[in-house]
This record gives sequence, structure tokens and C-alpha cells, in this order.
Amino acid sequence: MDTYRKSPFVKISVLVFGGLPLLLWILGGFPERSFLKESLSFVTMLSFFFMIGMFFFSRANAVVVKDLKMHRTKKIHKAIGTTCVSIMLLHPLFLVLPRFFEAGVSPDDAFVTIVTTFHTGIVLGMLAWILLLTLGMMALMRNQLPMTYKTWRRWHGILAVVFIAAAAWHAIDLGRHSSLAMSSLIILLTAVGVRLFLKHTITSKPQKPRIDR
Amino acid sequence: MTIERIDGCIGCGTCVKTCPTDVIRRDPKTGKAVIMYPADCQICHLCRMYCPVGAITISPEKSIPVVVSWG
Ligand code: SF4
Ligand code: SF4
Repeated sequence: MDTYRKSPFVKISVLVFGGLPLLLWILGGFPERSFLKESLSFVTMLSFFFMIGMFFFSRANAVVVKDLKMHRTKKIHKAIGTTCVSIMLLHPLFLVLPRFFEAGVSPDDAFVTIVTTFHTGIVLGMLAWILLLTLGMMALMRNQLPMTYKTWRRWHGILAVVFIAAAAWHAIDLGRHSSLAMSSLIILLTAVGVRLFLKHTITSKPQKPRIDR
Repeated sequence: MTIERIDGCIGCGTCVKTCPTDVIRRDPKTGKAVIMYPADCQICHLCRMYCPVGAITISPEKSIPVVVSWG
């Protein structure tokens, strides 16, 4: 645990993927809502940023592999993945959850209205949700799938890139806290993360197996 | 100001149909709701109550409590 805590990369990542969005959220000047709504929004936003962060906590990033070694990088990747994928898969329900405690449209009617609205942001959100579910299933069932690890890894990366592109667009279009600054941060981090993956995929050569110590 | 702002609109159009005084319209380009005639707002809260994503904020200072039926 100490290795993670002492790692400069982990510290910087917490600041970039947690601290910066939080700062922009506070400075955004958005109206205060109930504690439940704000908490759900906050958890969703942080999960999304840490999902972008997963591109940085992967073998595509030589800096993190050097700092933490591959096995620890993989552990962080898995931990962020399990937590954030679960939250992101549930987040459409977070929108209607407060409806249980408020007058007006019922939670189920609100949910039906959301999923039947044909708007670019909603369609992209649904596409991203399906891709995320596929990504999650693919990660959970890695050993059962009829493909080599390298093929799996490539597909996992490609799906992740398509997912993050759709999800980023969805978040910028419909995100309640997507101000100009927040949108710019999403675009910047997504672009750098995707570039890392593409660079690694295009330039990587077959390597001999290596034992990390 | 009465109806204050709209954040995170998905463009379902419910508030446009719900508002009794046509304060809200849909932007033809984005399809999202926009506050067109804020001066006509009666602070009835209907738009806020029926927005599926809770995108509408109504000025709390000018709000009157919403009557909810318990029956
Ligand atoms: S509070 Fe009532 S009058 Fe005002 S915009 Fe909403 S629905 Fe219209
Ligand atoms: S009801 Fe809400 S989501 Fe639907 S158009 Fe109005 S503000 Fe947008």
C-alpha cells in the first residue's frame, strides 16, 4: 500500500482526475441542490474522470509502469475499473432516484422519458452504456473468451477508445456541470489518454516475457 | 427572476408542454429547452416537477411551497 501512496504518479493522478474536476465543479457557480442530488452528481463525475484515468493506468503509459511496475499498475487499473464501471452503469438510475422523494413525475415515468428521448446526447449515452457493459463483461470473462490474451487486450483497448469518445461527447452535451472549463478538461484528458493507447498499439513490438520485482 | 436556469437538459420537451404561460421554448438548433419569457413565469414549479432529469432551477427566494396531495 505504501508503494501506491508514495508513488508520484498516483499523487499527480489523484490531483488531475479528482482534484481538478472538483475545483472546476466548485468554481462552476452551479445552483445548490439537495445533498442527495449533489452527491450522486459528484460520484458520477469523479467516476467518469477516473475512467479516463484508466488509459493512464495501463501498460500504454511507460511512466506509470516505470513508477509502479506492471503488476501494481494492473491492480490499480482493475480496482478503478470495477468501481467506476459499476457506478457508470448505474448512473442513469441516479438521475431518477431523487424522484422518489419529490413531488411531480414518478421515477419510472422519468426514466422512460429519458430513454425514449431521441437526442444526440442520449443516443451517445446509450451507445456508451452498451459499450461499457461489453467492456466490463469482456474483462470479467477474459479467460472464457476464445482468443489469445494479446487479441483480447487489443479489443479491450479499441472498445475502450470508442467508449470514451462516445461517453465524453455525452458528458459534454448533457453533463450538468459541463462548463467550458470542465468540457475542455474532458477533451484534453481524453485526447491524451487515447493518444497514449494508439501510440502504444501502433509502435509496440513483441517483447520477451519480463518478471517485475 | 423566477425560473432561473436550465442545466443538463436532454431536450424531451416536457417543460415546454407543461408551462401554463409559455415561458420555455425549445432551441431549434440544439433541441434543448431555453428560457424565453422569464417575466411571464408564475413560479408554479410545474416545469421543475415534471422535468425527468431535474434540470430546472427556480429562484428559491420567490418560491411558494408546492401543495402536494396526500390522497
Ligand atoms: S414555474 Fe411555472 S410558469 Fe414558471 S416556467 Fe415553470 S411552468 Fe412556467
Ligand atoms: S423537461 Fe427538463 S429535460 Fe425536458 S426539455 Fe425541459 S428542461 Fe429539458
